[in-house]
Amino acid sequence: MKKIIILILAFSITGILSANDNLLLLEEANKSYTEDNFEKAIELYEKVIENGNESAAVYFNLGNAWFKINNMPEAILYYEKARKLTPYDDDILFNLQVANSRIVDKIESVPEIFYVRWWKNLLYFFSVDQWAAISLIASGLLMLMLLFFLLSNWYWLRKTSFWLGIVFLIVAGTGYLLANQKHQSFIREHQAIVFTPTLTVKSSPSETGIDVFVIHEGSKVQITDHIGDWLEVQIANGSVGWIREDDVKKI
Amino acid sequence: MNRETKIHQYLPAGNKIRITAMVLMVLLLSATSFADDVNFTATAKTSVSVGEKFQLSYKINAEGKGFRGPNITDFQVLSGPNTSTSSSVQIINGQVSRKVDYIFSYILRASKDGTYQIPPATISVDGKSYHSNALNITVASSGSSGSTGSSQGEQDTSDELYLRASISNSTPYLGEQTIITYKLYTSIQVSNLDASKISSFPGFWAKNLQENLTNIPQTREVIKGKEYVVAEVKKFALFPQRSGEIIIEAGMLDCVAQIKTSSGRKSSDPFFDSFFNDPFFNNRYQNVEKTLVSNSLKIDVKSLPTQNKPNNFSGAVGSFDFKSDISGTEVKTNEAITLKFTLSGRGNIELMNPPQINFPPDFEVYDPDISNNIRVSSAGVSGTRTFEYLIIPRNPGDFEIKPVTISYFDVAKNQYIKLSSPPYNIKVAKGENQPQSISIAGLGKEEIKYLGNDIRHIKLPPYSLRTIGIFFFKSNFYYLLLFGPLVIALLILVVWRRTVKRRSDTASMKTRKATKMARRRLKLANNYLKNKKETEFYIEISQALWGYLSDKLNIPKAKLSMENVKEILEKRKVDPALIAQFIDTLNNTEYARFAPGDKSENMDKIFREALDIISKIEGELK
Repeated sequence: MKKIIILILAFSITGILSANDNLLLLEEANKSYTEDNFEKAIELYEKVIENGNESAAVYFNLGNAWFKINNMPEAILYYEKARKLTPYDDDILFNLQVANSRIVDKIESVPEIFYVRWWKNLLYFFSVDQWAAISLIASGLLMLMLLFFLLSNWYWLRKTSFWLGIVFLIVAGTGYLLANQKHQSFIREHQAIVFTPTLTVKSSPSETGIDVFVIHEGSKVQITDHIGDWLEVQIANGSVGWIREDDVKKI
Repeated sequence: MNRETKIHQYLPAGNKIRITAMVLMVLLLSATSFADDVNFTATAKTSVSVGEKFQLSYKINAEGKGFRGPNITDFQVLSGPNTSTSSSVQIINGQVSRKVDYIFSYILRASKDGTYQIPPATISVDGKSYHSNALNITVASSGSSGSTGSSQGEQDTSDELYLRASISNSTPYLGEQTIITYKLYTSIQVSNLDASKISSFPGFWAKNLQENLTNIPQTREVIKGKEYVVAEVKKFALFPQRSGEIIIEAGMLDCVAQIKTSSGRKSSDPFFDSFFNDPFFNNRYQNVEKTLVSNSLKIDVKSLPTQNKPNNFSGAVGSFDFKSDISGTEVKTNEAITLKFTLSGRGNIELMNPPQINFPPDFEVYDPDISNNIRVSSAGVSGTRTFEYLIIPRNPGDFEIKPVTISYFDVAKNQYIKLSSPPYNIKVAKGENQPQSISIAGLGKEEIKYLGNDIRHIKLPPYSLRTIGIFFFKSNFYYLLLFGPLVIALLILVVWRRTVKRRSDTASMKTRKATKMARRRLKLANNYLKNKKETEFYIEISQALWGYLSDKLNIPKAKLSMENVKEILEKRKVDPALIAQFIDTLNNTEYARFAPGDKSENMDKIFREALDIISKIEGELK
């Protein structure tokens, strides 16, 4: 314990903390969590993130710790962060659902058109780098097919490679687009969680704007635009309005 | 004391008729009265203590009308204004002088300490308005200031009759029982004790220890040579509910004291005096209503130590014992089990919550039956508190009721104590009255009961940590892997093309050379023909034919034979007639070469045949 604190101090001064030390921190944090010392666990998990490392598991555990001390907005924020890194993880989705059931707002989401839903399902199916890898493999195979098509003397091979080449072209292109969209979502952070207990959403980016609707802490919003420190947000049921940037934390 | 006595001489409201009669009489007599200066004065004690009753009286020596009393807000008006008159007739040397005093009196009680002013009252006499004087009254807080705050008159009895509050422990822990006792010290007769006002203790949970007593316990004590009867008028067990300094306000006790009235008579006659002061006559006592005020108490409540505080500590302080009892541990389904927890000891036992018990989820558990058996005695509160649970196992199996723990703070040991009950293992057998068929029929099947809605546990190592904000996507390495294959493919394509071209070049060159080679060989053969060199001629013809085929078709000579020539040529879609002719020519050449006899005869013919077939195949293969 003492050793770790000294280590943290030593490294935070120099600003270099190797992944190995973060693993030690994580072990310590997990121990605090199992001993019901959630505040300590939160502190340690956040330290790891501060040190510049992340993983779905760290976000998930941090979300759990926040959940245990009944801070739903923070818990949801970190579950969403975890989900962003590892979509379709059963544990993350389950805990996120439990946390969402404990917040004030129950926003009915608007059913999306089938192709949007499919696209989103695809988007959530793999992480950025997984999609990047898929597009890479597909483009590699596309090159191979191109070679076969151009160089083969056999008619059947040329025919097969032609059609496979088209398939790989589509896969590579889709993979690139999905990876790009996900990558953008990390860079632009276009989702956020409301942290103000009761938040009045305005019709325009100013205090004098007309109050449109009220949302409560823990709700997720999509950021669609921003002017100064005002954000245009959209909630799951499609309603749009403006809020201050301080009222939310970006996922 | 005199004044006190006087206070109670006012005429009660019931005697109004008598007053009216007196007033009428006075009115009749007033005709003879001489006009005097009107004197309207207010009198009252200038310093009183909180809770003390005192009289405020307005005296006027003339008949007045429309008495308007002051607006009294700072004091509690117990009664008034009451009117009374006193008249005296003096006959001196035949001169009759009458003196009539009208008195308007109030009985007030001071409720708060401080200095208050009583504004003047007004009255009109013969159409003229008169104001009385205003009064300043200082109210001293009682008890704490002891005798200094009390008036002169009060001092008279403070020796004989007083109330004292005492506490058993002035620095208790939060929740620790401490006993407050109000004792009445008296050396005179008192009756009608009323201590009902001593009942509230802000900041404490109080338990009256004298609830069941019919008689107030009395003792005798000698203090400073004087014998007192000491009565414990009130006794409470106090349980502090907050830490810090708490002041218990002075308690008040109303009583009726029997006080000697010897000094009540004032006479200048020494004989009279001595006569009436005789103890025999002096035996008369007057009943005086008095309010006794005790001292106030300061209690410093210590908060409980936070160190080693058990999680389930719920505020019990004292000394306790914890027992548990179960009616049976081997039962059949649907048979009830009684589980009893008994907590006994001294302290705030009534405040104990039922212990936290985790019953097996399949058990039907009813709310505990809580019964208290609290004994209050002068030593404080003690007793037992019983929690009785009725549980009914619904399904057979082996179950465990985990140890139940309670904790309390032991003041004597100055530490937290944990008490546990033993664990109980309950064996539940299948009851006879539960038909087996129910579960077979599927009617008795249970849904999985969710005991709580909790999140899933944290993810455990191994972790694969990544650096925030750094992606493989769009990294240099990504672009390398994306465009690398394209470059490689292009390179392969270029290299492949070049090799293919080179290879096709050598092949076409050989083909082009084939005719030339064949022609050169035939020319050589023609020379041999002219020179009649038969052997060389046939070798050359054979060489020309095979060589031509080998070069033309780009097939090594070694792979060609009489057997596969036909096949190869057929593959090249050469006319079967030509193939046959070619093979014939080859055969003839071989035959002529090795045939005995004159070889020169056929030489001409074979030369022409070879020349013919090569030119024909040349045309066919082009």
